[in-house]
Amino acid sequence: MSFSAEQRETSLLDRIGTRRMLDAYVVGVAFLEGGVLAAALGDGRVAFVGGASADASRFVSVHDGACLSLAADLGGERVLTGGDDGLLASTDTAGETTAVANVAGRWVEPIAVSVASGLRAAAFGKTVRLFTRDDSAVGTFDHPNTVGGLAFDPKGRRLATAHYGGASLWWTKAGGQQPKRLAWSGSHLSLTWSPDGKYIVTAMQQNELHGWRVADGADMRMSGYPAKVRSMTWLPRGRYLATSGAEPVVCWPFHGKDGPMGKAPLDLGWGFAGVVTVVAAHPRHDVVAAGYEDGATILVQIDRAHPVLVKQPGEGAVTALAWSADGQHLALGTESGFVGRVRLSDWRAPT
Amino acid sequence: MNQIPVTVLTGYLGAGKTTLLNRILTEQHGKKYAVVVNEFGEIGIDNDLVVNADEEVFEMNNGCICCTVRGDLIRILGGLMKRQGSFDGILIETTGLADPAPVAQTFFVDEEVRRRTSLDSIVTVVDARHVVQRLGDSHEALEQIAFADVVLLNKTDLVTAEELTQVEKRIRSINATAIIHHTLRCEVDLDAVLGRRAFDLERILAIEPNFLSEDDHQHDDAVKSVCLRTDRPLDGARLTEWLQSLLAKRGQDLLRTKGILSIAGQDKQFVVQAVHMLMEGNFTKSWSPKENRESRLVFIGRNIDESELRRQFDACIA
Repeated sequence: MSFSAEQRETSLLDRIGTRRMLDAYVVGVAFLEGGVLAAALGDGRVAFVGGASADASRFVSVHDGACLSLAADLGGERVLTGGDDGLLASTDTAGETTAVANVAGRWVEPIAVSVASGLRAAAFGKTVRLFTRDDSAVGTFDHPNTVGGLAFDPKGRRLATAHYGGASLWWTKAGGQQPKRLAWSGSHLSLTWSPDGKYIVTAMQQNELHGWRVADGADMRMSGYPAKVRSMTWLPRGRYLATSGAEPVVCWPFHGKDGPMGKAPLDLGWGFAGVVTVVAAHPRHDVVAAGYEDGATILVQIDRAHPVLVKQPGEGAVTALAWSADGQHLALGTESGFVGRVRLSDWRAPT
Repeated sequence: MNQIPVTVLTGYLGAGKTTLLNRILTEQHGKKYAVVVNEFGEIGIDNDLVVNADEEVFEMNNGCICCTVRGDLIRILGGLMKRQGSFDGILIETTGLADPAPVAQTFFVDEEVRRRTSLDSIVTVVDARHVVQRLGDSHEALEQIAFADVVLLNKTDLVTAEELTQVEKRIRSINATAIIHHTLRCEVDLDAVLGRRAFDLERILAIEPNFLSEDDHQHDDAVKSVCLRTDRPLDGARLTEWLQSLLAKRGQDLLRTKGILSIAGQDKQFVVQAVHMLMEGNFTKSWSPKENRESRLVFIGRNIDESELRRQFDACIA
């Protein structure tokens, strides 16, 4: 399947989108309250674009080095960023930055925010620290190796971390605990927890995923990727896990009793040469936004053959994608500093 | 996107690595380097491009027991790519006791690292006075010399001319292809160390090898070099099959393999690079019509049976 010439010429971004060059690698994007788009950049700045006046943008120098990660902070009015300067910072749209924690010489890469429990977690190398809304440190979890990924369970009562040799499960409220270790040899680079709380999935160094059923620790291997899986996203109600790392958007079915065990994944969105680098699922519908290494971005729908072109190739690999909470807005960023956003309520899907 | 050159700096404790790093960070040479160190504070320089590494050596799950990589480096190099444009090259310091193999193998194994960076050279700083003793008692000191593309034979003022000659011969018998510079306090033109493109073999194998004369074998180190050459074209299929099976069986003992080879029926040079079992072979530039199409293949390793390798190599002649 491929796009017709006509479709290629009329991307959503060209028709109904806005675009901006931010002149540094876009590490992550997130929508805040009031429709403001926050972007964390490879030169240490955080950019706020749009909102009340659609063309306004504000740049805040937050990290002395590169931003490594970004998440909408509790309350949705600030962004939480980790940097290679050892700083975990919370910045509001007016440009005021608070240092949540600072550990010199450590990189702060994986971060996670749990709205349900009002907690934020960040990995400083091998140590994960937990903070409340008012920046009080309420937990320290040490690991034998650097933590590559972390995620809260849906209620924020547990925290899962990925590292060399497997994953660890921690209780967020207990001190002095030994974690439950989920062992699987190899290097685990990132981690996600399913929205129903039943599964944990890690992306591994050797181009595959590993999953565990939380209840009994049953292992699941999901392999066959030509590249590392850098991005994973759950479709609504956790029915599918969509992933980057291949030319199609690979979606593993998790709605059966045994998750994806013994099942083949769905391959969506063929049509572009090159590998998918980022995926982001729509918060309400079975739609996934997928960005490619050549800069193209599409929307694909489960059970629907034809993808919709969001952005044409160019501007370097897509490195960040995010939906607004209501699913009306989609934002994307690339390695060359391009940021685009589309308001989907302005668009009618072809029927 | 351009590939960023990476230089790996090794050397036994006290050889002078930190001196060299400090020079690279402070001298005006018009270039900026991101430096990955293993001990913060060891180099007394405050610089946001100095990154602390944790030396996390990971086994790869690919059924190859000697295939280890530096997980922390994969992460750090990925992070540094987000700061594109803010530096010209990357320098990785390894601890004095480190085996250089996992660092070198990282550049073969990880696709993203391979796409964004190129291993420029492995530079080993050697203490001229103590190296002989080190070679006697330290397996790592031997490996560091074996892996080197460039050796800085440092502290040459602490030995006599005669001793220096002996030390150099000893290094040469272990590693026939490294470029050796004599230095005091690592004072060497930085162009001799950085941006060498030494992993681009053409130069190294063209300039060197100084072939071993008989008396170079007297030290009998556990690691030595074997250089094979022929003016007759090789059979591509047979050669590839031989190298693959040799590295699969003997890769643990063969630390480095480098070659520029003339393949029958091919206008281009076939360039081979391997670190233990991990091999890369590519057709590169064309042989010039005036050039003698001589194939050169160098093995640096342990328990090498030179006559056996030579027999197998000769069997690949077309």
